[in-house]
Amino acid sequence: MKKAARVAAFAVLLALLLALPKFVSSYKLLTYTRFLILALMAQGWNFIGGYTGYAAFGNVAYFGIGAYTTGLLMLGRWQVAFFPALAAGALLSAFVAILLGLPILRLKGHYFAIATLGVAEALSQVADTWDSVTEGSTGIDLPLRTEGAFFYYTALAFVIGGLALTWAFSRSKLGNGCVAIREDQDAARMLGINTTLFKVVAYALSATFAALAGGLTAYQNIHVTPGDFFKIDYTLQMIIATIIGGAGTILGPVLGAAVYQLLSTYVWSRFLELHPTVLGLIIVLFIVFLPRGLMTVLARKRPRGERPFRPSDLLANVRAHRVT
Amino acid sequence: MGGAELGQIFVNAVLLSGILALVALGFSLVWGIMNIVNLAHGAFIVLGAYITFFLHELFGVDPFLSIPVAMLALFALGWGIQRGLINQIIRAPLLATFLLTFGLELLIVNLINFFFKADLRSVTTAYSGTGLTLGAVRIPYIRLGALAVSLVLVAALAWYLKATRTGRAIRATGMDIDAARLTGVKVATVYAATFAIGAAMAGAAGSLLSMIVPFDPTLGGTYTQRAFAICVLGGLGNVANVVIGAAIFAFVDVFVGARLPSLSRAVTFGILVLLLILRPQGIAGKSV
Repeated sequence: MKKAARVAAFAVLLALLLALPKFVSSYKLLTYTRFLILALMAQGWNFIGGYTGYAAFGNVAYFGIGAYTTGLLMLGRWQVAFFPALAAGALLSAFVAILLGLPILRLKGHYFAIATLGVAEALSQVADTWDSVTEGSTGIDLPLRTEGAFFYYTALAFVIGGLALTWAFSRSKLGNGCVAIREDQDAARMLGINTTLFKVVAYALSATFAALAGGLTAYQNIHVTPGDFFKIDYTLQMIIATIIGGAGTILGPVLGAAVYQLLSTYVWSRFLELHPTVLGLIIVLFIVFLPRGLMTVLARKRPRGERPFRPSDLLANVRAHRVT
Repeated sequence: MGGAELGQIFVNAVLLSGILALVALGFSLVWGIMNIVNLAHGAFIVLGAYITFFLHELFGVDPFLSIPVAMLALFALGWGIQRGLINQIIRAPLLATFLLTFGLELLIVNLINFFFKADLRSVTTAYSGTGLTLGAVRIPYIRLGALAVSLVLVAALAWYLKATRTGRAIRATGMDIDAARLTGVKVATVYAATFAIGAAMAGAAGSLLSMIVPFDPTLGGTYTQRAFAICVLGGLGNVANVVIGAAIFAFVDVFVGARLPSLSRAVTFGILVLLLILRPQGIAGKSV
């Protein structure tokens, strides 16, 4: 595709997305907003999990921190407006991520994954127990705001901002440094990359995105409880969306979020009770046949050479990782 | 706290550590040999629990006698899953196997939920309520039996890995897959056997748990996490380390559970994260 054609395609897509609230029912708009919020979370996870290669399994912690900070600031004594409250939630999440990241990011592989999982579990229980601030498992109620278009446009703006940021990141010294860490951390360190700093920045970025998504979801759902906003499902959704689309690519997380939301909504409407089974099956199939995500199908240049993607590559993907 | 309460906590911890060792051993074997953190381990435990439950409910089979059935069934299932799915992506990056086993967990648990519903179930036998009383400390017979079965299985696996040809092949593959292949080990078969043994251990643990605690399809999740914590505590690679890790974890868990029940998960995981940061190689030292 020529560059001009690509720009035109993006412009048309953007115009469609901007006009969308005029044409669809408020229920459908909710589904689209969910997709955008998932895309936002996946974009965040992509920084640490995709580019830096650290399997962060506890990002829902920052989703929850964002939701609670936004909610609590809008309530009670402070009565802060939504956007400043959301910004405060994002900042606090980034701060917590830096504090936690400094020790945790020293761990590697499975150990890092479980440490993040443990932190999320612990925070969930703290939110559940700390009655005087979080109202425990009863939860808090945010001021009501019913226009679906507000949430849709806010999420859309964040996702577009996220795309721009990811694009800039992937071209920056920071982004390249993170990829170097993913490929070989010791070599990266020997090349003079401050690995701790780079990893912590990528982790804080991912926390910020999760917090924005959390605050937005909190305002939209009104009711915030530890059970709903610290559940591991969010962590998994952002990881699955990123993997489906293509980890470590600019468009991958958004594409993956769209596919995931589409499949999930469809599966939900057709097989209500077997929903997790079908989702589990989808995860398994994607991991086995397309471990590098959909972007490898779409991208003109494949990682090794110019050959376009062929269906037979699905089997080749399987063979490449098999043990006989 | 009084001496009686301390005594009871001590006994409870000892009784818990047997099952935890069994759960963690299968998990640690798969992790140590194949470098796979099997998030579906909990689902295997749940399957074991349901097998025992239904054999008891429908045919009146004594729960202890159903353990071999559960182990065989899970062995077969584990073999199939390893050959059919996990083996296909075993060399892919870590996240792939992590997500694959997670997808399996989701799938199995939801299927159980679909067919058997989320009702809380328990296996109750004629001897369920009875136990030994030593002063102020009570020891239920079932938990004592579960401890004995766990210890026998742990010892049997230790012997199997040390003394048999297949056991040595499994350990050799864990140490160096290429060297093992050069000496004629069929790696794919060894992997399938390893995963199947891990699943069988989980099945046995599930059978035992079904007699001890009321369960539903979500029983397994917390045990996967506990198994992970125990492997981190003990380090991978040898049976004794896993047993020590299980004992330490059981004591912390029971003690925290008795003193701060509402924060027990937060404290347990806080300790785990601290340990990971301070000694990522495990308390017992070297891992494979």
